[in-house]
Amino acid sequence: MSFSDKLLTGEFIVTAEISPPKGTEIRPLLSEAARLKSLVDAINVTDNPRAIMRMSPAAVCWLLQGKGYETIMHITCRDRNRLALQSDLLGAHAMGIRNILIMTGDHPEKGDHEGAKPVYDLDSVQVLSLIRKLNNGFDCSGNRLEGMTDFTPGAVSNTQLSDVSMIKLRKKINMGASFIQTQAVFDTDSMSNFMDKIDMISSKRPVIIAGIIPLRSEKSARFLNENIAGIKVPDNIINRMREANDPASEGIEIAAELIRKLRSLCDGIHIMPIRDHKNTKHILETAGIR
Amino acid sequence: MIISKQKEFDVILRNLKEEDIFIIGCGKCAKKLRVGGEPEVLQMKTKLEKAGKNIIGWTVLSSACYIRSWEEVLTQNPAIKKAHALLVMSCGGGISVISGFADIPAYPALDTESLGGTCCEETVKDQCGMCGDCIIWMYGGICPLSQCAKTLLNGPCGGAKDGKCEVDDRLCVWDAIFERLKKIGKLEYLDVLRAPRDHTRNRRSNV
Repeated sequence: MSFSDKLLTGEFIVTAEISPPKGTEIRPLLSEAARLKSLVDAINVTDNPRAIMRMSPAAVCWLLQGKGYETIMHITCRDRNRLALQSDLLGAHAMGIRNILIMTGDHPEKGDHEGAKPVYDLDSVQVLSLIRKLNNGFDCSGNRLEGMTDFTPGAVSNTQLSDVSMIKLRKKINMGASFIQTQAVFDTDSMSNFMDKIDMISSKRPVIIAGIIPLRSEKSARFLNENIAGIKVPDNIINRMREANDPASEGIEIAAELIRKLRSLCDGIHIMPIRDHKNTKHILETAGIR
Repeated sequence: MIISKQKEFDVILRNLKEEDIFIIGCGKCAKKLRVGGEPEVLQMKTKLEKAGKNIIGWTVLSSACYIRSWEEVLTQNPAIKKAHALLVMSCGGGISVISGFADIPAYPALDTESLGGTCCEETVKDQCGMCGDCIIWMYGGICPLSQCAKTLLNGPCGGAKDGKCEVDDRLCVWDAIFERLKKIGKLEYLDVLRAPRDHTRNRRSNV
């Protein structure tokens, strides 16, 4: 069953994230994907994450799909104007890529090409609107396409939202985001509040997939709190990591506990490890969902 | 007001290969911002002389970007004719106009940053994105093209941490836009899907 079909069944979704290589060596990427074989419903492939230049996600999705994995291709607004976005989307479609996750994208100043021109010709709401047009057989300017697309678009969100962020999320849902993948969740109460807010702003709730970052150490927890927007690791979890004899195992246990609680709160989880997917299988088994 | 700041002196010196220099300041924005009025021109003169340049004259034009007659400028400042280069302490608009008249190289002493203003004696920058299609009313009078680092139109990116933009320490402008629209009772403006911009409205601007 395809990822888009699963979105409709109400089945609990599991996705995991992989970043393309920085260079042409693809063997480590394929080994990472192999760790996820039969474990996840789709593999997310990032688009120059944190504005650090890497291989095109379309190429990586194509490689992975050739090996039997279903993918979700990330597309940011940072690097392409509307012509490039559309031609890349049509190209991705030709390569069999159907699931697209749209996000604004970290500013170039955050990455390894600080002086690059930030494009942001379209924003994430406008790209969702564009995909709706492509799916209806028209381009951004309203010209008819020879062959329409069949994309399943998704969007991203933090779970703790300001008033103005909530308005934007509502626009994303109204523009057809079928699924929402969230920033990493460490506090199920705030996730519960987020779900309530989603129900308030949408008549038909998209599939909500909660982000999971398995912690490796107390330091990694503090790093997330200090450096990554939208993430708040609560003190009780930081304390558990500090007091653990084996922090990596504790991180696995915390992730599994979160997943167990999230099963009754939202529609799926998305694993975004700090380094690699060595522990992903163990986490999913400990959580009892695989 | 055009917001500009002085270039690093080393950079000015590196560009300025000629020896006989005439300095032109500007009596408008650059003067008000204290980067191109008389005191700054005189300071620049002293520094360049210490660096071995021959400053053969200087002036502060009432407005570097509004020159009715270059002949008049030359009549009032005949030393310009002996100079081998001009150093212009104005915004990009000013040096552009002057370069069009002068038949010697003109070098900028300032970097033009943005279009801003002065509010309660405080200089505010990045007030206008110069998009050629003013939409500021939709955002309560706060221009997202000049104040949002990603020039977004439909709301914040989610990258702000503790209310601060991911690019610098400025507060995320979207919270200010929300508060301003709330204050004037126009929050519904934020619900409207804003279409992609028409870049034919400002063909040669990079905004």
